[in-house]
Amino acid sequence: MVYFILKRLVQSVFVMLAVAFLAFSLFRFVGDPITQMTGVETSVADQERLREELGLNDAFLLQFGRFTADILQGDFGYSYRTRQPVAQMIADRIPATLELGLVALLISLIVGIPAGVYTALKPRGFATQAILMTTLVGVSIPTFVIGIMLIFIFGVQLGWLPTFGRGGTVQIGGWESSLFTIEGWRALLLPALTLGVYQLTLTMRLVRAEMMEVMRTDYIRFAMARGVPMKKLHYKHALANTMVPVITIIGLQFGGVIAFSIVTESVFQWPGMGLLFLESIRFVDIPVMGVYLVVIAFFFVLVNLLVDLLYVAIDPRLRVRDVQ
Amino acid sequence: MTLSNLAIRTLLGSALSVCAVAASADEFRWASTTDPQTMDPHAVNSAPVLSFLNNIYEGLVRRGQDMSIEPSLATSWEPLADEDGWRFNLREGVTFQDGAAFTAEDVLFSYQRASDETADVRSWFAPVTEVRVVGDYTVDFITKAPNPLFPDSIANFMILDKDWAESNDAALAARDAENFATMNVNGTGPFTLASRDPGVRTTLVPNTAWWDDVQHNVTEAVFTPIGNSATGLAALLSGEIDFIQPIPLQDVAQVEGRDGFKVLEGEETRVIMFGFGHEHDTLLYSSDVTDANPFTDPRVRLAAAHAIDIASIDRVLFRGKIEAASQLVPADISGFSEANQGRADFNQERARELLAEAGYPDGFSFGLKCPNDRYINDEALCRAAASMFAAVGLNAELSTGPVRDYWPQLREDDFDMYLLGWSPGTFDMEHPVRFLLHSQDNEKKLGSWNFGNYSNARVDELLPQIQQEIDPAARQAMLDEVVAITQEEVAYIPLYTQPLIWAAKDNVDLTQRADNFFMLRWVTVN
Repeated sequence: MVYFILKRLVQSVFVMLAVAFLAFSLFRFVGDPITQMTGVETSVADQERLREELGLNDAFLLQFGRFTADILQGDFGYSYRTRQPVAQMIADRIPATLELGLVALLISLIVGIPAGVYTALKPRGFATQAILMTTLVGVSIPTFVIGIMLIFIFGVQLGWLPTFGRGGTVQIGGWESSLFTIEGWRALLLPALTLGVYQLTLTMRLVRAEMMEVMRTDYIRFAMARGVPMKKLHYKHALANTMVPVITIIGLQFGGVIAFSIVTESVFQWPGMGLLFLESIRFVDIPVMGVYLVVIAFFFVLVNLLVDLLYVAIDPRLRVRDVQ
Repeated sequence: MTLSNLAIRTLLGSALSVCAVAASADEFRWASTTDPQTMDPHAVNSAPVLSFLNNIYEGLVRRGQDMSIEPSLATSWEPLADEDGWRFNLREGVTFQDGAAFTAEDVLFSYQRASDETADVRSWFAPVTEVRVVGDYTVDFITKAPNPLFPDSIANFMILDKDWAESNDAALAARDAENFATMNVNGTGPFTLASRDPGVRTTLVPNTAWWDDVQHNVTEAVFTPIGNSATGLAALLSGEIDFIQPIPLQDVAQVEGRDGFKVLEGEETRVIMFGFGHEHDTLLYSSDVTDANPFTDPRVRLAAAHAIDIASIDRVLFRGKIEAASQLVPADISGFSEANQGRADFNQERARELLAEAGYPDGFSFGLKCPNDRYINDEALCRAAASMFAAVGLNAELSTGPVRDYWPQLREDDFDMYLLGWSPGTFDMEHPVRFLLHSQDNEKKLGSWNFGNYSNARVDELLPQIQQEIDPAARQAMLDEVVAITQEEVAYIPLYTQPLIWAAKDNVDLTQRADNFFMLRWVTVN
């Protein structure tokens, strides 16, 4: 098991290197950092001097090599835009993104799994049709439209919830959390809902399809024939067996939720990594963009690893194979 | 709405609003699209930074509500008698926010810091050869040549305390890595920094020891950058912020239609114009004229100017909020040439005649470059202009892109015609002459935004004379001559002055300055 985890972590280094390489080869097309760093009155000579000092005139491979070597030594560099250390900037923004992603995931599970089970057990019910229709609409509308709609309904018209930002946050050992204040939760609700809608629909439909599949299998029919109580049958036997593929997909999707919370963060001015990335693109802040993409790649690898480990916990057959 | 619905709504509403923290009457919350990148007044020469820090730091002179220059840390100034330069008499009894006294040494130190290679504002001091401390409260700025506009050009040159900067390792502006002054401040101005979370929230509180009469009634000011304009509007309409700058034109009706909110409109000093590749031998993006550059012929440039229907652009794209421009600065800028107020009128017939005279009776195609995130409605403007050009036979191939990509393309001469907006940093006509009309000259640092390299020997000759002329009438005569030449030659097609649109709650009184700077010291919350 330890060998398995180590192997995956070593693999992750190569994934991150590949991502960094791809990212760097694209940065040249993003724009010119120098014109974004300097004012209009800055002379061409001063711009050129700055370009030289930042090493932007060097060959692509040299720049990439320097970036990787610095990161391997734990030096993430300084932002062109704010001159702050990139590691600190990103670390400051990680809590906001993770909390947003986790709450969105939670919403999608808490609503999505029961809804999936219900719609599987009563496939022809009126409520089922209604649920399927609404979620289909929800998933067809682009995220930013959902976000703006929620803001205008609950923030502007009704005035119930804040329209932007994180509300009240509490510092817990360097982790800035909005999960411990009412203000924080009020601010979290709309963005989490916006981000979670797609996940929710996916979870529900997946659970529904798997559940319907399982309900048709022989062992469920035998259990039914033996007179196992329906509740136990549905939730213990059937649901447990639907969860393996559901966990895979949801786990893989979670990496995407973290990576693609950019749109939601922008609409709600949510101060997470995604928003930082957007600002960095605008200013061609190469150090921040580079580190962000590497961190996101690491998240993906980590989530994949966790999903693999969860398999083993859920499915006993995998454990046996591992022992052999 | 059914009764039960209403009940739920009321219940939920009251339950949630109980949790809402009531803001105190004088706490002022405002938003803008860009966060100031740094708290260091010399590190970055950009409007968001200078505008924000003008609330905290002060210069020797400052700009009033009408943009006029008035005393700040200097009480008076006069040209030196026996050499070129200016003497500034400093205000006594001023203290920095940490309690240290303000003296001439701080001015000298700030000059050294701001003119160092690490500072982005050093171009302001290009004419300065030396700064001399004459007494505790007297400083001389020596210039290479007579420089009547020098005091006007340093309104944003902010003074730091020497001891504070040196003892905190911030004697130079942060360039590669942050230093103490990136996140901390110590100015003499009306406000000081209470907390800063870059990109998220910055809080200012009044400086109780400020030397000037307090006109505002703000007890705490909270700034939040909101990049997405729809989110910013929602934040204003929901009452979470009191003021936002700017709002998009299309949202004006939304704000005006609601009780309790107002739109503040003005003219920015920014003139939007089209520029040409004056020194290009051939067109880069033409499908029919590949062996010549028709735009080198002034008649063709004039034809393009006659093709533009500025009234329609105003009506359709800008809801009647723009002012047509005749030259590179708007009328309220010093040095504006009143003798040359006319602009090429909208006259398609004349445009076609001119094209025929120049040898292009059927017109030709060319490439038009525009940014899509720099000026208000920039992309829409270029689409409209392209169809107006097409109506007289000038077929523009429009390509647009984000500004981070746009300037590098212009620097590499990758255009036939391009869009540019210019706001004179010194609020004087000399500024666009120096940056847009003088021939490109990297050595002398002139013409650095003259992408098409418009070049006229007489204009080049006049610029240094304009810079040194003390007599206002003689100076204006030379500026008039420059404007007349460049209008005659159609160096650019000036289009209009960009509007400035802010929005606030009704109970907020504030001043909208033409440089788009927002000064907290003029805010009253009723």
